[in-house]
Amino acid sequence: MTLAVLLIVFAALALASVFGYAVSRRLQLPEGPGLEARIQPVDIEAFRNLVNPAEDDHLRRRLPSREFRHVRRVRLLAAAAYVQVAGRNAAILVRIGQSAQSSDDRNTVEAATRLVDQSLRLRQNAAVALFRIYIALAWPNSGLAATPVLDGYRELSGAAMLLGRLQNPAEPVRIAAS
Amino acid sequence: MLQAHSFLWNYLWLSPNVLLLVLALLMYWRGLSRRYPVFTVFAVGAASAQLIVYTSDLVPSVTPATWWIIFWSGLMVEGLLKFVLIAEIFTQVFGAYAALAKSGRILIRGVGVFLIFAAALAAALAPKDGLFGIVAGAHRLEQTIYLIETGLLLFIFLFSSYFRIRPARQVFGIALGLAVSACVHLATWAVMANGGLPEKRNLLDLLNMATYHICVLIWYYFLLIPEKARPTQPRPPKPPADPPTGLAVEDHLHEWNRELERLLQ
Repeated sequence: MTLAVLLIVFAALALASVFGYAVSRRLQLPEGPGLEARIQPVDIEAFRNLVNPAEDDHLRRRLPSREFRHVRRVRLLAAAAYVQVAGRNAAILVRIGQSAQSSDDRNTVEAATRLVDQSLRLRQNAAVALFRIYIALAWPNSGLAATPVLDGYRELSGAAMLLGRLQNPAEPVRIAAS
Repeated sequence: MLQAHSFLWNYLWLSPNVLLLVLALLMYWRGLSRRYPVFTVFAVGAASAQLIVYTSDLVPSVTPATWWIIFWSGLMVEGLLKFVLIAEIFTQVFGAYAALAKSGRILIRGVGVFLIFAAALAAALAPKDGLFGIVAGAHRLEQTIYLIETGLLLFIFLFSSYFRIRPARQVFGIALGLAVSACVHLATWAVMANGGLPEKRNLLDLLNMATYHICVLIWYYFLLIPEKARPTQPRPPKPPADPPTGLAVEDHLHEWNRELERLLQ
């Protein structure tokens, strides 16, 4: 009967997850300003600095081994926090893009589709990067590849800017850096 | 009331399958069968298989051995249709997203292989309960099918939840009905396959049939009743200057872009 109990527990947890999903789907915030306000800006430069291999090499040369491992763990934890925020932002942009996909304007739909695709790719990369960061926390001397997250963020930003312009044509175009 | 061949027992076995056939017919008339062909085939196939098993149960000339062979055949057909239906749900949910479709396919295959091994192990570990081989085997096969089905559907729900993908209402309804049915059936068949509650199996049968009835009603609701339009919030006017918090998304994105372009220099 132990096996039956295990299977019943698994079935109960699965059922609870499915109901949880159904309830959260029902309670999702309506798309619009409320959703956009939940986006947290990310200091991409600080993030890039944290995952820069040259910085790590420099620290490795300058610090004693024990101290380097401590500093590297602190830097990795900070990088993980950035990746988590980037991943959350990507999830919000998926929702924004999905709501824009029902637009009547073909250009908006195309831009929204691109935004959703790139947001999903970023969220996927963020999950992988987070996994690698946690692995690196266990072995602080190992390398860390967070480049896909940076690249994804750059592409995502461009796509989101384009969608923003298409949805608000009255707004001045602000893609180029000032 | 709660015994085999009572009115409730007959109703719960017969009505969901008749309703499922009617649903397939309504879907055909409304053109939904073109959008969800596998679900339509599943509705017709699963309902027909169950109605054949039900009729065989009532006909006196059908021997117990023949009835179990019919039951096994229906189970195999239904199981096969369910797995094809899960593939259709996966395609409907993730097919439109190129970024996810490939990795999602790789992951669900991995999960599927793991579940097959787990289900085979669970079936092998199930005790011999003294029933005829064909009966005990049917219990184990039910447990195996529902374990794999529950695992695959759970993966689809969790994967889409992680990526905040909002599947179409009808696809969500199909998946929800199938998942509720799979979870409850897994629990009851696990009890039966492992020799639990030998005196109360008719209650487990009734629970299974009642759950399936509810699932058919879930499919009716999501497939035939249109979604109510959600009130949309008007976009507020742009503030004259950027406040430190509550920025509009375009401003945030502009900020990210500026930071990134500086990095690229």
